[in-house]
Amino acid sequence: MKRRIFLASSASAILTGCGPIANALNNNATVQKVLASAEGLNHALIGTRGLAREYRESDVDRNFRVNGFAPSDSRYVTLAASNFAGYRLLVDGAVDRRHAFPLGELRALPQQTQITRHDCVEGWSAIGKWSGVRLSDILDAVRPRNDARYVVFHCMDNDGMGNLYYESLDLHQARHPQALLAMRLNDAPLDAAHGAPVRLRVPTQLGYKSAKWVERIEVVGSFANIASGRGGYWEDQGYEWYAGI
Amino acid sequence: MIYRYAVLTRASHWLWVIAFAVLVSSGLQIFNASPNLDASDKSDPARRVLAIAAPVDGVGTTTIFGHRFVTTGWLGWTDDGMGSRGPHAFPGWITIPGYQDLAGGRRWHLFFAWAAALCWLVWLVSSAMKGNLRDMILRPSDLPKLWPMQAYYLKLRKEPPPHGTYNPLQKASYTAIGFVIAPLVVLTGLALSPGIDAIANPLTVLLGGRQFARLWHFVGMIALLGFFAIHTFQVATQGALNQMRAMITGWFRLGEHDGVGP
Repeated sequence: MKRRIFLASSASAILTGCGPIANALNNNATVQKVLASAEGLNHALIGTRGLAREYRESDVDRNFRVNGFAPSDSRYVTLAASNFAGYRLLVDGAVDRRHAFPLGELRALPQQTQITRHDCVEGWSAIGKWSGVRLSDILDAVRPRNDARYVVFHCMDNDGMGNLYYESLDLHQARHPQALLAMRLNDAPLDAAHGAPVRLRVPTQLGYKSAKWVERIEVVGSFANIASGRGGYWEDQGYEWYAGI
Repeated sequence: MIYRYAVLTRASHWLWVIAFAVLVSSGLQIFNASPNLDASDKSDPARRVLAIAAPVDGVGTTTIFGHRFVTTGWLGWTDDGMGSRGPHAFPGWITIPGYQDLAGGRRWHLFFAWAAALCWLVWLVSSAMKGNLRDMILRPSDLPKLWPMQAYYLKLRKEPPPHGTYNPLQKASYTAIGFVIAPLVVLTGLALSPGIDAIANPLTVLLGGRQFARLWHFVGMIALLGFFAIHTFQVATQGALNQMRAMITGWFRLGEHDGVGP
């Protein structure tokens, strides 16, 4: 009997000790650095290979789930009211031929349609039919220079505290055949909630990579000097830059 | 006394204990970001198997196959890890970090997933090279001995069937956990990754789709917890000190029935 009491009390001592120990470790910068090392391993081993599965029309979610809120500032509201007639997608940075694309020009380029699944980092997923321009076609048009390594997407939405949403891909990810600048969802122009007029679709990574309300694509050698320097709004909040897992 | 567990086996064992605790608690943190499990590819409320929710402030509910239970304080409306209660599926005291932090939970989870998997691989290769695996893996000839062994534990039989250093029930559980359940938990976790899905889509399809893989991953965790419960119960009831000493120092005092048969 004594032995059982001993075992039970040591088990409960271990359990109650876990919380404070886990908290202390979680708050330790070195521990966090070690934990974050898994990202490099995942990026190296999984990377961006293969093609995301493409689905049938019947698999599409007609009510594609919305996360986040459309920009509500007067500039966006005015742009939206004119059907984005004044919108330009500026592509600049480390490129030979910077260019500002009006929507009509983007629509005149070859269009790709993909029915792919959007996997949110939160754990849910939804299937949409997306149409638009391949990111690689845009890159071909502007010709990245030799020092170009990343493609940064600057967006029109902010978090209410002045931080604009942005995202980034490396050139390999950006040239993936399914990396798409989508202008249509489920056979209709993108609505404000889903990122009108142009959003990114990166079906081989988690949803936060697929930035909405994109207005500028900046090709850079490094994103260290943009915002907090981790390559994206959610990356700056501690999420992984490589979001393939 | 025999020298039963090599240092690598003991180190692996305790690393798995830590990894398992971290993986469960960070996994529940990740689950909390979307506390539903669907038997489908994309999210589909019509095929929802488990939903944990806080339909109104102060009330937590758990819905399993459409049957709803009020679970306030335990699931749905629970400890938020910051001194009060809120809409959190699993309570803060069981998750890592203790407060809502999906990014933090993912860092813990993905790191220890690697640690546990690499540790398993090193242990497997070294045990196979030393020939120790032979004693642990369940063989067809062990199958008729499973019930007699259980009957012995239930005191329905005086003598256990003759066996090697591990009895047939131990072999069954080590084989199930090490070669079936743990690998399945790894595969179901990998199937959740959009990057892996693009490389190995048949894996996701085989599991019934992405959300189904998330459900299987959760079921796998429950199976591992079940193994853990039975395993600790057996250790506690079958010479706890001898077993603990063996897994710490390597030295095990054989019972009168151990190691006498094939």
